[in-house]
Amino acid sequence: MVVFLRDLLRYRAEFRIGLVLVAVVLLLSVLASFSPYPPDSVYVVPPDLPPSLTYWFGTTSRGQDVFWQLSFAIRNTLLFGGTVALVSRLVALAVGLVSGYKGGWIDRALMSVNDTFIVIPLLPVLVLFYFVMRDRISWLMLALIMACFGWAYDARLIRSVVMSLRQREFTQTSLFSGMSTRQVLTDEHLPYVVPILFSTTMNNMVWSIGLEVTLAVLGFTDINIPTIGGMIYWANQHTAMVAGIWWWIAFPTIAVIMAFIGLFLLAVSVNAHIDPRSRLWNVGEAS
Amino acid sequence: MNDLLLDVRDVSKTFVRGGLFSREEIVAVNKVSLQLAAGRPEILAIIGESGSGKTTLARMILNMVTPTSGRLLLDGTDLAAISGSAGRIAFMHKVQPIFQNPFESFNPLKRVERYLLMTRRRFAAAAGGSTAATAVDAALHKVGLSLKEVGGRYPHELSGGQLQRVAIARALLAEPKLIVADEPVSMIDASLRISIVNLFRTLRDELGISIIYITHDLATAYYISDRILIMQKGSVVESGDARAVLTAPRHPCTRQLREAALLPQIAGGGANASGTTQVI
Amino acid sequence: MHASVEQPHGEQDVQPLLVVRDLQAYYRTSHAGVRRAIRAVDGVSFAVRRGEIYGLAGESSSGKTTLIKSIAGAIKPPLEIVGGSMEFAFLPGYGGLHRAPPAQVERIRWRHLSYIMQGSMNVLNPVRRIRCSFTDFAYPHIGGSRQQFEQQVVAHLSRVRLDPSVLSAFPHELSGGMRQRAALALATICRPGFIIADEPTTALDVVVQKEVLGMIRGIQRETGSSVLFVTHDMGVHAHITDRLAIMYAGRLVEEAATAEIFRNPLHPYTQNLIASLPRIGEDAPRAGLGGAPPNLADPPSGCRFHPRCPLAREICSREVPVMREAGAGHRVACFAVNGDDGA
Repeated sequence: MVVFLRDLLRYRAEFRIGLVLVAVVLLLSVLASFSPYPPDSVYVVPPDLPPSLTYWFGTTSRGQDVFWQLSFAIRNTLLFGGTVALVSRLVALAVGLVSGYKGGWIDRALMSVNDTFIVIPLLPVLVLFYFVMRDRISWLMLALIMACFGWAYDARLIRSVVMSLRQREFTQTSLFSGMSTRQVLTDEHLPYVVPILFSTTMNNMVWSIGLEVTLAVLGFTDINIPTIGGMIYWANQHTAMVAGIWWWIAFPTIAVIMAFIGLFLLAVSVNAHIDPRSRLWNVGEAS
Repeated sequence: MNDLLLDVRDVSKTFVRGGLFSREEIVAVNKVSLQLAAGRPEILAIIGESGSGKTTLARMILNMVTPTSGRLLLDGTDLAAISGSAGRIAFMHKVQPIFQNPFESFNPLKRVERYLLMTRRRFAAAAGGSTAATAVDAALHKVGLSLKEVGGRYPHELSGGQLQRVAIARALLAEPKLIVADEPVSMIDASLRISIVNLFRTLRDELGISIIYITHDLATAYYISDRILIMQKGSVVESGDARAVLTAPRHPCTRQLREAALLPQIAGGGANASGTTQVI
Repeated sequence: MHASVEQPHGEQDVQPLLVVRDLQAYYRTSHAGVRRAIRAVDGVSFAVRRGEIYGLAGESSSGKTTLIKSIAGAIKPPLEIVGGSMEFAFLPGYGGLHRAPPAQVERIRWRHLSYIMQGSMNVLNPVRRIRCSFTDFAYPHIGGSRQQFEQQVVAHLSRVRLDPSVLSAFPHELSGGMRQRAALALATICRPGFIIADEPTTALDVVVQKEVLGMIRGIQRETGSSVLFVTHDMGVHAHITDRLAIMYAGRLVEEAATAEIFRNPLHPYTQNLIASLPRIGEDAPRAGLGGAPPNLADPPSGCRFHPRCPLAREICSREVPVMREAGAGHRVACFAVNGDDGA
């Protein structure tokens, strides 16, 4: 693992840039724990001040320090994206492995569920949930709903990989070596699936954070918990752009873009590095 | 207890291709019967062109494909009745496969000894005495390798010939009575091929293992097999003693195969006429 | 050392069609900071005469695929030509296709030089009908009216016993044998002087294989082309080639008329290769060769065969044996055969 990270750092510029971007964003989110103000209190600082040495990112019209508000917001947003990615990865992995390996009616049943989730349009469903639940909708619930919609496409991807692995002779060697189905899946096939899992995790986070921002900007989430989208929502409510309070919108936007680009670069570089085909670079076949 | 090691009775396999509207049935194996006697190890070659059904037949014997009709009995046990992991292990304890492509036989991301140790742990628990490592080493010695040579190696670090030997050693660790080898030498380099083929003979003579050797190569089949089965389009067209069938083929299909086999010898004249005149 | 190859022989045209001199083709890679050079072809010299089928035999790591790639000019990184030259009679002065200007190469391909590969799908475009492949590749070189061209194609297809109807078929609609015959027709319709055949029949069934080999021989005789025929199958070599070169670990070890190689192999590797082949009707047990082909990233010093050689002596691990004339048209690179002054 250490060697792996060292190689990545040494040979992949994308990885270095992505790592710096994500590290900056993570550092910002960690700082939330040291905030002098609670996230939901308003008018704790003078409103509408531009960035200065005292208030690095300025203050909002609601009397909040943008820097500390942003650190809460990015923490919540990353947590949200991470939760969606984790839950949906677990579902995608389980469904993809079982469906691809078992085949037959199990495959058909799982894939019909899978395809149902692929074709349901997500945004109207989320808006519908909001109108039914109104204020009872928490970020965790939203995360779970999004996780429900975030696994289907990747499960298909994993299934197709496992289906082709199943046809390969080493799967038969494993079975005739006395391995159980579980062992074949976790020991033999999982290493081929991990790269997919990695790159889709990052992609999934980018997707879910983007969707959360969209919903929050539209006001379809719990606006009292600071998120990136929530900040932009409040800024819009106070017509920040018209009033010239540009720093209220600019800093959250920059932060989320940094997170997007950082995650994307990590996904691309890690994927290229751990792809079994590039790892299997070898001498013997080059005749 | 049972005088037949393997009893294949009238098995057929039909694959259905196409969807709802255009169903096409392909008969891969058509009513094939064959027997191997217990206690009298032999090498049975199954010969045919691609599409003759020889690989499907092998996969049915390995219980990787279920026949559409007919029965397969191994040591008296009906393959269709095998269920549960205990049943599967008992079955694999008697039959082990060798595959065509040695580079594909092992997971490229794993060390090869993993499969050897796993096989030993699963099948030879009763053998006792020696540790797993010594047992693996002993099996590797039977195929002309040692644990020192292959231990800690990944498949791409070994040659095709070495990998195929490891595959055979792995099969031996299960202490099987029957090995089904599907084109085991077709992807092995010429200079290593004959050693692998010779190894099969050693397994038969010294370990008493029967071998089903599936191939399209008549010369190696003639060289090692005792009995031969010629398949064409899913059916057995000729069978019998290997030497008799190949030196005096009766069925037109066998004759055609025999004539088409390019033998590594200069016949004198024929296709090489121009070659010889040119060089002199 | 080329004197032996280029000497006049009988009534044939003396000028060889392809002369390969001391070719070195390495794969140079840098992965995770480690630089490696795989010396896949390391000092190979031979000549292909006009109107002959020159066989090249070797195992999977012998470098024969790299040699073919180099001759065909298919040189992409990490493969590099490190030294030597490949001179075609119809492309003088460049020392290899890779050094000639692309426009020049374009004119030569199909007209003077064509290929028959193992997977004919590489040549036949899978989403276009066979007719389109013929028009794409051959029409620019043949010219004339479309009707004339079509007639010529149909006439040529009949030589490989294909019905004109295959022209309207897609490659996947044909059987493997028919596809390979179509590829053969495509490769020979311009009557090229030189054909590179890389394992053209390996994927075919034995009966079809013999048929296709017969056709290759027939067309070659008719057009007087030279063929560089590469396969690992000694049976195929015995059947079709006129002269045969044996390659081991990136170098040629022996070259002679095919019949001579089979009757009187001199190099210990060739001897073992020939002796280990089972033959129908012969029951004598055959012994294989110990060891394994070397890793070309780190080949043995001196003669690359010496760790496996029964005749190995002290000099073999020190010096590289050169190809020497050991009989009429019979070259071999071995100290045990040529004597220690071989270097």
